[in-house]
Amino acid sequence: MHYDEIKSRLNRVFCTVFKDDTILISEETTAKDIEKWDSLTHLILISATETEFAIKFKLKELIAMKNVGDFMKSIETKLAV
Amino acid sequence: MHFCIFVLYYKKNMFDKIINAAIKFSENNAFCINTAYYTYKETGKRVNGIKNLLRKSSSQNIGIVIYDDIETYAAILAVLFAGKTYIPINPHNPPDRNDSIVHQAEISTILSSQVDDVSEVFADVLGLDVMDTTNVSDNNHLLEKPDVDMEQNAYILFTSGSTGVPKGVPIRLKNLDAFVSAFFALGYQLDDSHRFLQIFDLTFDLSIMSYLIPLTIGACVYTVPAGEIKFTAAYSILEDYEITVALMVPSILSFLRKYYEEIRLEKMKYSLFCGEALYADLTEGWAECVPNALVQNVYGPTEATIFCLTYDWNRSAENKNLNGIVCIGKPMQNIAAIVVDEDLKPVAAGIHGELCLSGAQLTSGYLKNPEKNKEAFFTLDLNGTAEIFYRTGDICYIDEDGDFMYSGRLDNQVKIQGFRVELSEIEHYAREFMKNANAVALTSQNSSGNTLIHLFVENFNITDDLLAFLKTKLPTYMIPNEIRIIGVFPLNVNGKTDRNALKKQI
Repeated sequence: MHYDEIKSRLNRVFCTVFKDDTILISEETTAKDIEKWDSLTHLILISATETEFAIKFKLKELIAMKNVGDFMKSIETKLAV
Repeated sequence: MHFCIFVLYYKKNMFDKIINAAIKFSENNAFCINTAYYTYKETGKRVNGIKNLLRKSSSQNIGIVIYDDIETYAAILAVLFAGKTYIPINPHNPPDRNDSIVHQAEISTILSSQVDDVSEVFADVLGLDVMDTTNVSDNNHLLEKPDVDMEQNAYILFTSGSTGVPKGVPIRLKNLDAFVSAFFALGYQLDDSHRFLQIFDLTFDLSIMSYLIPLTIGACVYTVPAGEIKFTAAYSILEDYEITVALMVPSILSFLRKYYEEIRLEKMKYSLFCGEALYADLTEGWAECVPNALVQNVYGPTEATIFCLTYDWNRSAENKNLNGIVCIGKPMQNIAAIVVDEDLKPVAAGIHGELCLSGAQLTSGYLKNPEKNKEAFFTLDLNGTAEIFYRTGDICYIDEDGDFMYSGRLDNQVKIQGFRVELSEIEHYAREFMKNANAVALTSQNSSGNTLIHLFVENFNITDDLLAFLKTKLPTYMIPNEIRIIGVFPLNVNGKTDRNALKKQI
């Protein structure tokens, strides 16, 4: 899957999880940029992303993610396997 | 001679313990905050520096704007060692709420490590003496025992109040000291080599155990950075720093359960849970992740100082639970716990009723709130002595072994991410915005066991504006996850809004 498509589909996941159609993610986006992004919504976000891309993250991978860019790279790597 | 030593040891209060630890372990690290370490010596200098600042304040109650930095922790210790009372203020709460706290606690002095942001923390800063806690250090690192009456308040924490006004819970030095003594009486094998996790917001009293207990033994406190995905950040610290003692809210297990197979924290010695119902199925899996730890369910309201009942998870036998919720165990030393009926009369073992607490850790009552005090406290003759009891609002029964089994909440006060929330406070502000149109806040649990807030509003469709308004009045954890518009609320046979019927619509 092309990186842009990953970004577009992930953006839709963010809009759904945070119930906000105006969210525009970028590689630099972090939890500090989205008001309701806390431990609870993070859990929902991870599950929704796993369902969207039919992948599974490991805890170590989640810990290593510092921003949405890391998130997208991780999705891309998993889809390439 | 031995007897004298014995007596002297037990006469030491929490101040003596902290002072002695700071002397004996002056080169040990006291805090690790955002990867930076601060020794006991360095922390002591900061504490004394801030204490010097406080000499200029005649105010007994000192507000501390809380951040995840050494200045904030040093400020808390400085206020205690200055013989004053601290009130933690969350800079992310709406300014109106913080103003209410300042007003109720009659605070005129504020300590902050980010003084430039104070105008965003409070709506009204006029009359507040704001003291900058950065770059304040004394040459002397030795702490001095305050000449203070232990009846004096150590801190006042503000919790959600049903009228929309936060409720102040003052905890006296003697209550806090009783907690420290009762904690060590539980028999934990702790020394200065232990590493404690501090995951809590400093307005939440579980944070106090997480930083105060380690400071009495020369151990190090590892704080979870604010502004990050807390549970991920917390796990990262548990693993990276090989944490040995961690008090956490059970919600973290809902997050980690998917990854139990990956987790093995061999160094963990004590894994405590508090603040919400602890589910047995989640605990069973977690116990395998921390193979060398005592897993403990601890219970207690803010009114009875941090926690006051404990239950040890048994790895080799069946564990007590009620509807899947782990037993909350037995009272700690100097705590009396009873279960009463609607007439506030103690009930027999096995009978459900309201859990009520008394003893050395109990608050003297809500701050300037006689009405609430009348509702929440009562006197009962116990073994010939009149004791004041606090009504927790929790439904329990006592089993044949004297263990307390937790069944649920009596009213509509709930725990969300460990914070105690009066749903009526959310309704209060919703009604205020909607000019008293009907509003009902309810909760549900999602598949991960997390609590979600649903706000039902009657015939009011400007939900975006309502949500924006609520964000100016309530902390983030109290903002509804969903607002649902209903034409007309269903009514029960008594003509009251049928909350159960609404709940079925979630």
